[in-house]
Amino acid sequence: MTVTIRTLNELLQPSHLPAHPLATQEYFVNMGPQHPISHGSLRLVLRLDGETVKEVIPVPGFVHRGVEKMCESLTPRQIVPYTDRLDYLSAFMNNWAITRVVETAAGIESNERIETIRTLMSELQRIQSHALWWGVTGMDLGAFTAFLYGFREREVISEIFEETVGARLTMNYIQPGGVMYDIHPNFVKRVKDVMAYMKPIIDEYDTLLSGNVILQERCRNIGILSPEKAIALGCTGPVLRASGVPYDLRKMENYGVYNKVDFNVVVGAVGDCWDRYYVRMQEMRESIRIVEQLIDSIPEGPTMTLRYNLPIEMPEGTYYSQVETARGVFGAFLVAEGKSEKPYPLHFRSPNYNNLWSVTALAPGWRVADIIAILSSLDLVIPDIDR
Amino acid sequence: MGLITETLPAVIEKFPGGSLIVTSMDYAINCSRANSLWPLTFGTKCCAIEMLMATGAAHQDLSRFGAEVARASVRQADLMVIAGAIVKKMAPRMRMLYEQMAEPRYVIATGACAVSGGPFMYNSYSIVRGADEVIPVDVYVPGCPPRPEAFFWGLLALQKMIKEGESVRRPGIRRKPVMAALPNGMTAADVRAEIQRELEQDNVIDVEKEAESKPWAAKVKEWIRKSSSIS
Repeated sequence: MTVTIRTLNELLQPSHLPAHPLATQEYFVNMGPQHPISHGSLRLVLRLDGETVKEVIPVPGFVHRGVEKMCESLTPRQIVPYTDRLDYLSAFMNNWAITRVVETAAGIESNERIETIRTLMSELQRIQSHALWWGVTGMDLGAFTAFLYGFREREVISEIFEETVGARLTMNYIQPGGVMYDIHPNFVKRVKDVMAYMKPIIDEYDTLLSGNVILQERCRNIGILSPEKAIALGCTGPVLRASGVPYDLRKMENYGVYNKVDFNVVVGAVGDCWDRYYVRMQEMRESIRIVEQLIDSIPEGPTMTLRYNLPIEMPEGTYYSQVETARGVFGAFLVAEGKSEKPYPLHFRSPNYNNLWSVTALAPGWRVADIIAILSSLDLVIPDIDR
Repeated sequence: MGLITETLPAVIEKFPGGSLIVTSMDYAINCSRANSLWPLTFGTKCCAIEMLMATGAAHQDLSRFGAEVARASVRQADLMVIAGAIVKKMAPRMRMLYEQMAEPRYVIATGACAVSGGPFMYNSYSIVRGADEVIPVDVYVPGCPPRPEAFFWGLLALQKMIKEGESVRRPGIRRKPVMAALPNGMTAADVRAEIQRELEQDNVIDVEKEAESKPWAAKVKEWIRKSSSIS
């Protein structure tokens, strides 16, 4: 199989000259890197015919910091804070991915209490991340009020994290061998209060925005991603599930204590923007269910099974581990040389990168304004794409 | 809010039918500039969530400082909040954005990445070590990411800086940049109290106290006393 690599300059040549002097000519429009929709720095080159999008060429790399290369000179415990800064809205889950791969490699046992705390934190963050996404989607599609409501709930959950973890965004909490700190004495009561508060809030979100005519018109049957295409592009998370593929690592891999709780994998029917919207809304409800089942029965035990001053020895070999973040499958591929703690090399499989390229399949044929709805429904975090 | 306080360096000239405020041009311009900063929605990384989105929402309310009108177009903005890491591919774009902004323009670098490269300072081949290598920065707000309160601290520092500057005689002269770090041992409650104090100092007038200092205050009191004794 041969792969032809075309540079951006080649891609930007007009594909055909107009046959008739009155025929419309194709032209290019840059969306980004400074654009309110990109929520970061992402450049999209649109090939347009009139207002119809012919092709979308994503140009990532405006936040490429070389995290994977940096990690080659760091020990596993030092890598953990860098995973916070990839997909910062799923910091706990990213921590968990690198922790899982290190624990698999070094054969570190964890106990029931650690796994329960990790699961609880991840699900709380999934709710937080989806609430934030809901607000921002509303703002992108012209409803600024949704932004205020989404951030209201984000603050409430942030306060829980702040109490236990000490951070609001970059957590650095889930470590190889356990978690950084034990949960705060107020944690259980506070989470219960917040969950009781959150349940009617999701219904309020539905009342406020989901039934809105403008949102429905801009999302229904826009940007349909077929299940075959979604699998071929490597999409994961709500984007894949909205296309009707019930792929959820929480069910497939049985990590954490997900095998003990009862929850549904939410799937969509069509795979349009509306399905991607509503899958996330339902996932918030499912996450609340998971948290409510776990919060009463956090087992006793130590929260760290490893001594901090000892190096983590990983035998020679290749290891891969993945978790389900709020945006899809986040995997960490690690090659241990056996000589030192430091991995060589380390690769992250980020969900956003694959979800981004689905826009090349989704966008052609739609109008420029629909690109906003499509990108918004993909819920991209740019630093996770660029790494 | 443009309310007149005692600290206003102005003279009130009264004449029949109204009054006139005589003040310095510098004061009037600086006050307007400091209290109507329009930030540019320029977020590259995690700090954008905390600095631009969370502060703009209702819990931390950026509009208390007159800085909530986030603009996506550089031509309408006058405050650039660099929220996140700047890498070599982004640096020319950021410079271009800065040059498109109309004077006077101010820059706040928030977060460790924008201040010095932060956690990516060592071992990274693509990071720009501090946004000040590309554009001049007025206020640095350290933290990874800074709390929204810390960002307000930086914004207050910038507002003070603008108010103290000369805008007429030496319009192009920049003041020295400041590091607006939260002082050691300061809690979120302290910051809220400080913000409250700052807001009240500028925007609140004690109406009763103000009225008592007027020459007609004694007459009014007499009138109130009479009217209450009648009823």
